Amino acid sequence: MLTTNKSEKRLSSTVSLFKFSELWTTNKNQYCFVPSFSHSCISKSLSDMAARKVLENHKTFTSKAVADNMNSENPKFANSKNKKVKAFHKIPGRPQLLNNPWNGLFHNDESSENKLEKFERLLSGDLTSTELCQLSWSGIPMKVRATVWRLLSGYIPLQKEKRQYTLNKKRQDYLKMVKEYYHTDSNESNHSTYHQIHIDVPRMNPSIPLFQQNIVQEMFERILFIWAIRHPAAGYVQGINDLVTPFFIVFLEEAVCFNVPFELLTINVLTQEQRDKVEADTFWCAWKFLESIQDNYITAQPGIQQKVVQLKKLIERIDDTLHQHLVEHNVDYLQFSFRWLNNLLTRELPLRCIIRLWDTYLAENETFSLFQLYVCAAFLLHWREKLLLETDFQGLMLFLQNLPTHNWTNTHISLLVAEAYRLKVMFADSPNHLKCK
Amino acid sequence: MSYAYLFKYIIIGDTGVGKSCLLLQFTDKRFQPVHDLTIGVEFGARMITIDGKQIKLQIWDTAGQEAFRSITRSYYRGAAGALLVYDITRRETFNHLTTWLEDARQHSNSNMVIMLIGNKSDLESRREVKKEEGEAFAREHGLVFMETSAKTAANVEEAFINTAKEIYEKIQEGVFDINNEANGIKIGPQHSPTNPSLPGAGGQGGSQGGGCC
Repeated sequence: MLTTNKSEKRLSSTVSLFKFSELWTTNKNQYCFVPSFSHSCISKSLSDMAARKVLENHKTFTSKAVADNMNSENPKFANSKNKKVKAFHKIPGRPQLLNNPWNGLFHNDESSENKLEKFERLLSGDLTSTELCQLSWSGIPMKVRATVWRLLSGYIPLQKEKRQYTLNKKRQDYLKMVKEYYHTDSNESNHSTYHQIHIDVPRMNPSIPLFQQNIVQEMFERILFIWAIRHPAAGYVQGINDLVTPFFIVFLEEAVCFNVPFELLTINVLTQEQRDKVEADTFWCAWKFLESIQDNYITAQPGIQQKVVQLKKLIERIDDTLHQHLVEHNVDYLQFSFRWLNNLLTRELPLRCIIRLWDTYLAENETFSLFQLYVCAAFLLHWREKLLLETDFQGLMLFLQNLPTHNWTNTHISLLVAEAYRLKVMFADSPNHLKCK
Repeated sequence: MSYAYLFKYIIIGDTGVGKSCLLLQFTDKRFQPVHDLTIGVEFGARMITIDGKQIKLQIWDTAGQEAFRSITRSYYRGAAGALLVYDITRRETFNHLTTWLEDARQHSNSNMVIMLIGNKSDLESRREVKKEEGEAFAREHGLVFMETSAKTAANVEEAFINTAKEIYEKIQEGVFDINNEANGIKIGPQHSPTNPSLPGAGGQGGSQGGGCC
């Protein structure tokens, strides 16, 4: 029996409050420890409200602007196959920089003054996870994002007076863990993990100068190594590095008071103490996030394999025309959606958009793993018309592996998650489509 | 565009040996000094000409990390050619060749042409694996061998094209059943095996269908 069915039942229940427990403690003698989080999920009505709002706000925007954008993203689309092949085969699956780093950040729901005030009011006292998730689901203003992510991740407690104490303690705990575990010569298995991370980190995000800086690479090596040795069942799997990146960026930009976008940042502007904080915060928030999708990274990656099957069944049910088109041309869902699921779309979307997407994922909390399936479905359906125009396997595969999202902004993400939510609601009450062998 | 044959390839080998860079050099004629990790598989395609015939190559570039092996294994089936790549500056990537070869032989069709590639030949000063060692390994296991540099493009065209030539010759000899797409070969839309004016070995392949195994 699949856990997804259980999740579906939970989703269809009425308001179910988050129960952020006290902060979990680190047990040095125990591998793979699980934070004492009870299951939590955002209520249907809350997400529904947020999703509906986004859809209403952008009703007029959707058809024209997105279509215009898609055309401008790919002016060569109407050209011959060969030209198109060339145009798409740039660096497949690489996170793209936005032309203007701040583009799309200030005109969206999550950045409105009104919303910022609401967040600030909420953060100034004790708050409930329900309120926080409700507000966060449709996007978090940059100014409070780091704090809200810490809270949503369960890294710091909701009770205001305990937050700073816990934050300080957890940061120290991380430094202790680094001291204790970051020995690369301890045993062969750890050494091979370290070696893999060590050769992978310099290859991350090649288009972003920040990631070519040694200090940044060393920070990532430590974060990934500690994660891996404390989670031996999953260990370090390529792609996990990309999932840590959004946390790093958010805490880094907070540390420089948002004066410099990360695209232009050099790590040297931060003191050692500031860097340690960024590193520890990244580690703990990524830790919690990754734990909820650990089955994606254990042997044979069952979490992903299962979701690929679920995605296929879902699309077959939602849009049989598209599904048949893919099947007819021998496109296997695994061939394009594996990377979507292994990397949670980090390779398909600009990094700024990923950060906005993760506002929603973090607000979904432990149900985000399931919600992600619907995001992938919505993402595939977004390209429906273009896909139907492709007449052979090669055209379909090149398009699917190099989707023209370069000009996407947060607005696109708001629409994407709203659509994903709509699909989830429609199909959550009839979860048979999620059954797979 | 019309083509006589379509060949499917797979590129395999340890992580970081330059598989994706080889593909990028072959399909786009450029080098990406820092290339991000391949997750799962990535797809590339290019048209080449052999014996005056258009051959379409469709190439799966696989992730080298062990964790992805259960996913990437499924791509051996349906490949007519494999590029098995190691890095001449990292001895361990050469030492792992036996494992890769066993994996490839176990999961692919028995006629798959395997080209052994020692990549990064531009980094002579950091060489850890002699060219002769690569040649000896290839000889011992019945593989074609080349040293390449995805950076300078040395031998990159040749690696992909010579693999295609081998496959093409096998078709001519009737070794491949070209009517079975599971072998990673497809006849172009205008070149049906029943067409008597078919260039090359199409007709032969048809008659060889039952005998190749």
